[in-house]
Amino acid sequence: MQVPTLVRYTAALAASALVLAGCGSSQQESGSDGSGKKVTIGVNFDLLNGIRQAEKSAIEKAATEAGYEVVFNVADKDPQKQSSQIQDLVQTRKVDALIVIAQDGQQIASSVSLAKARKVPFIAIDRAVADQQNITFQITGDPVADGKLAASEFIDAGKTKPLKVLELVGALTDQNAIGRRDGFNEAVKGDPNITVVSQVPTNWDPAQALDGTSNALQKNPDINAIFVPSDFLLPSVQSALKAAGRLAPIGDPEHVFLVTIDGDQNGCKAMKDKTLDADIATPVDDFGKQAISAITTALGGQGVSPQSVRTEGLSLDQANFATTSAQVWGCVVA
Amino acid sequence: MSSTYQWCARALRRQPLFPVWLVLVLALSGLYDEFGTGANFRNIAIQASPLIIAAVGATFVIMTGGIDLSVGAMLFLAAAIESSRAFVSAPAGVVFAAIAVTGLLMGLVNGVAIALTRVPALIVTLASMQVFRGAGGHITGQQNIDLPAHLRGIGTGSLLGVPAPVLLAAVTTLGGVLVFGRTVFGRYLQAIGSNRAAALNAGLPVRAVTIGAYALAGVLAALASLTQTARLGAVQPSIGDGYELTVITAVVLGGTSLFGGRGSITGTVLGALVLTTAQTGLVFSGASPYVFDIVRGGVLLVAVIAAGIRWRTLAQALRPAAAS
Repeated sequence: MQVPTLVRYTAALAASALVLAGCGSSQQESGSDGSGKKVTIGVNFDLLNGIRQAEKSAIEKAATEAGYEVVFNVADKDPQKQSSQIQDLVQTRKVDALIVIAQDGQQIASSVSLAKARKVPFIAIDRAVADQQNITFQITGDPVADGKLAASEFIDAGKTKPLKVLELVGALTDQNAIGRRDGFNEAVKGDPNITVVSQVPTNWDPAQALDGTSNALQKNPDINAIFVPSDFLLPSVQSALKAAGRLAPIGDPEHVFLVTIDGDQNGCKAMKDKTLDADIATPVDDFGKQAISAITTALGGQGVSPQSVRTEGLSLDQANFATTSAQVWGCVVA
Repeated sequence: MSSTYQWCARALRRQPLFPVWLVLVLALSGLYDEFGTGANFRNIAIQASPLIIAAVGATFVIMTGGIDLSVGAMLFLAAAIESSRAFVSAPAGVVFAAIAVTGLLMGLVNGVAIALTRVPALIVTLASMQVFRGAGGHITGQQNIDLPAHLRGIGTGSLLGVPAPVLLAAVTTLGGVLVFGRTVFGRYLQAIGSNRAAALNAGLPVRAVTIGAYALAGVLAALASLTQTARLGAVQPSIGDGYELTVITAVVLGGTSLFGGRGSITGTVLGALVLTTAQTGLVFSGASPYVFDIVRGGVLLVAVIAAGIRWRTLAQALRPAAAS
């Protein structure tokens, strides 16, 4: 079968377009006023999901208030791609400062060094970076503290009814996942009312969370509590509970005690529906505000102190939901 | 005795993975009381279903000597379109048909680009993977979106007591076996995968068959997406992320050669069942979360090595013993 040359060239062109389109893109945001040079901040995220969207919005809001422009791009969970994108931001786009969520806290070191050499303030948010000496400022959550806060909800609930807990774990290469797991385990260790009967990795994959929860419920039908390390896995867990005939609201004797972390829309909706007992909310707005504030300080020629800040999550439970939910990013968006 | 041995040897030659799966199931059932229950086997069958559906599609592609890295991204884009506002109140049948057409189009994009150019399938599908995932992200805004209740039946419902995903996986398997073994298209797939140059010289419609294989894979990826999303009850940005590796592992584990030309649909189904059973067994065993990754990686390694030394060549070694 002979294919006309024109068709082949068109197909080749389409394939090339696919390749180019797939090479990632960046978008210019917050347009320039066209007069004078605005401060431009290069923002590079490891990925884009619900919480990253909220973090992006918080940065954009604070940047707009400060009169800065934002150039945003995403590394699609690829440390090499992230390094190239940051190089492009610094050397080609010549941004005045960087805000980065590192895909890998170790591998980001070369980007930190590049920024330092070019005298571009480097702000790390959400995920800690290893090269603490050369960054300008870092603000992260405290995953260990968040894990402990979640555990305290279990410990309180365990006082009225002993809990057999299924513990889901995020990606084992993610320090936030490991911190939440370690904080939780450390806090419940030795508590006579808490027994972790199963620990299931999810790799931050909803399908693995669904299957893992289903399997654990099959193996241990007496599980009556689940620690979900991120709100975005909550629908998977609820689907597994529903399939097992175990999804019941708070107050029902069949209710499975659930605590999550993040405070996104899933969590807030479940709190409102009274199917979720507690949610440890990440202070996303603080990340944006403090990152932009640090840039202003650094561009003014001053040192940022303290250089590293860890913010603990906010405990949202059924008792304080009415008074506290307005401070939780997912409840505001929802 | 001799005839039993011959039957076993023949069965082993045809499906060397079957005894592996059987031993795995028996061992886990012996070790854990709750494993060998009807409820758990039902659980495993449901969990394996989306993987079976997607992997049957991928088998057609790999049989041609190609590869499709965009399976996971197709899953996500199909789910994103399913959750879009246009379909919120549409009847389930309309939505499912639209998603199937979406899958067909995605497969055609891959197939046409691969068949009509000399760009390797690896590169084309690597690029389309990013395009599809990007498009899905654009549609969903990278937010979690709850799926309307009327679209969940395909993942959570049942017909005559058989769970809907299992039914779909069974129909897909049966269809795949028929297409693969009883149609001219299936024979052409094997011929192209075995020796593309010879197939071209013989005047086979190589390009049309290649496009057909990718189109079929696209449709089945969309069907897998419908069942998986319905099970989850929500569309999430990470759906299908890295799924292509699981799918390819199932296909290669099932005996399909990565170089094309050899393989079977039943082998792929067994590959998916082995992966799912092992995953379930790990939860039952209470193994450290780190062991899960070791096992997943180990299975992939075994699959790749098996592809290298050729399962069937290994199984053929049993033939003289069976004949004696």
